[in-house]
Amino acid sequence: MRTKLFTAGFAFVLVSACGSSSSSQAKNQSANVINGAAAVAAAKPLTKDQAHAVMHERHEGMEDVGKQNKVLRRELTASAPNLSVVRGATATIARHASEATHWFPAGTGPDLGKTGAKPEIWQKPQDFGVKLHNFQVAARALDAAAKAGDLNAIKARYADIGGTCKACHDSYRTDMHH
Amino acid sequence: MPKQRVWDLPVRLTHWLLAALIAFSWWSVKNDHVDWHIWSGIAILTLLLFRLMWGFVGSSTARFANFVRGPKQVVRYLRGDWRGIGHSPLGALSILALFLVTAAQVGLGLFNEDDDGLFAGPLANFLSPDTTDKIRDLHETNFYILLGLIGLHVAAILYYRLVRGKKLTKPMITGRAANDASAGEMRPGKWWVALICLALAFAISRWVVAGAPLP
Repeated sequence: MRTKLFTAGFAFVLVSACGSSSSSQAKNQSANVINGAAAVAAAKPLTKDQAHAVMHERHEGMEDVGKQNKVLRRELTASAPNLSVVRGATATIARHASEATHWFPAGTGPDLGKTGAKPEIWQKPQDFGVKLHNFQVAARALDAAAKAGDLNAIKARYADIGGTCKACHDSYRTDMHH
Repeated sequence: MPKQRVWDLPVRLTHWLLAALIAFSWWSVKNDHVDWHIWSGIAILTLLLFRLMWGFVGSSTARFANFVRGPKQVVRYLRGDWRGIGHSPLGALSILALFLVTAAQVGLGLFNEDDDGLFAGPLANFLSPDTTDKIRDLHETNFYILLGLIGLHVAAILYYRLVRGKKLTKPMITGRAANDASAGEMRPGKWWVALICLALAFAISRWVVAGAPLP
């Protein structure tokens, strides 16, 4: 009897803990990408210096996107979000998202230097292009929602963009330690 | 020698669930299941809170006051001059270290968040993103300390088994071990006290998950 009670108690804790998990997976945007491969195709090969410069800009940009995302979560879960802080963050993310079109030219992979970018980016340019495009669309939508100022809409678009980050990072980024 | 009770069910369940959840936490975070990783950490928090309380009001071998000993007793034990059941004075140091490092790991995890800001421990919002960057490094470093202690723990069990001929794993499963009767007996705890501890541990964990709101 005691044994059963204890076991049931422990099982209850674990099941309850798991049951209330809520994931903020955004629905995949059905992107109409005219030229998905454009993001990763280079018109002409980059020099080593140019490639390193792109990788540096990419790293700093992505890091900033992550940081702004954290700022956003702090504001959006606060009891009284500061809209001007939210708008600053969404504008910065939208700017980096549009810059990202030029962040993945061929020759800026792990062969050249330390990067979280996986070689698969250049092996599956079509799929990568779609995922990058989804992120860019989500970033613009988030920024537009922030400008409009409806908190519920901002939170929904914030969840969407998180899904696009994760979709790409799960496939195309390695664990980075810096 | 006759077999007698050494570990009660709460101690054994806590032990094996901790082992399983630490393994699961490692696996899940290495395989992009950060949400599972976080819930696993919360479950570990619940277990640690339960074990902490059971360490004060549980069975005799579960209580810290009964097994945490000073350096003199450790020396006596090393001389082969110690009698008793449950954790030896030396083993107690290992238990304390494992408990504290696991608690530190969970504590750091509560304030941690990933590079992207997509996943965060329930208390991460209390700190700035720059601070959680440092927490992330500590959470990673502390895991290697925990891994080292687990390695030492397993090595000690193998040493007792292979060199000293003492089986430690089976008693942690069955709760019974062959002991010299003169070493004393385990005094069991009360099952309803265990349920109260569990309910409290659960309530505190839920409060932490909710972001530790103050009234």
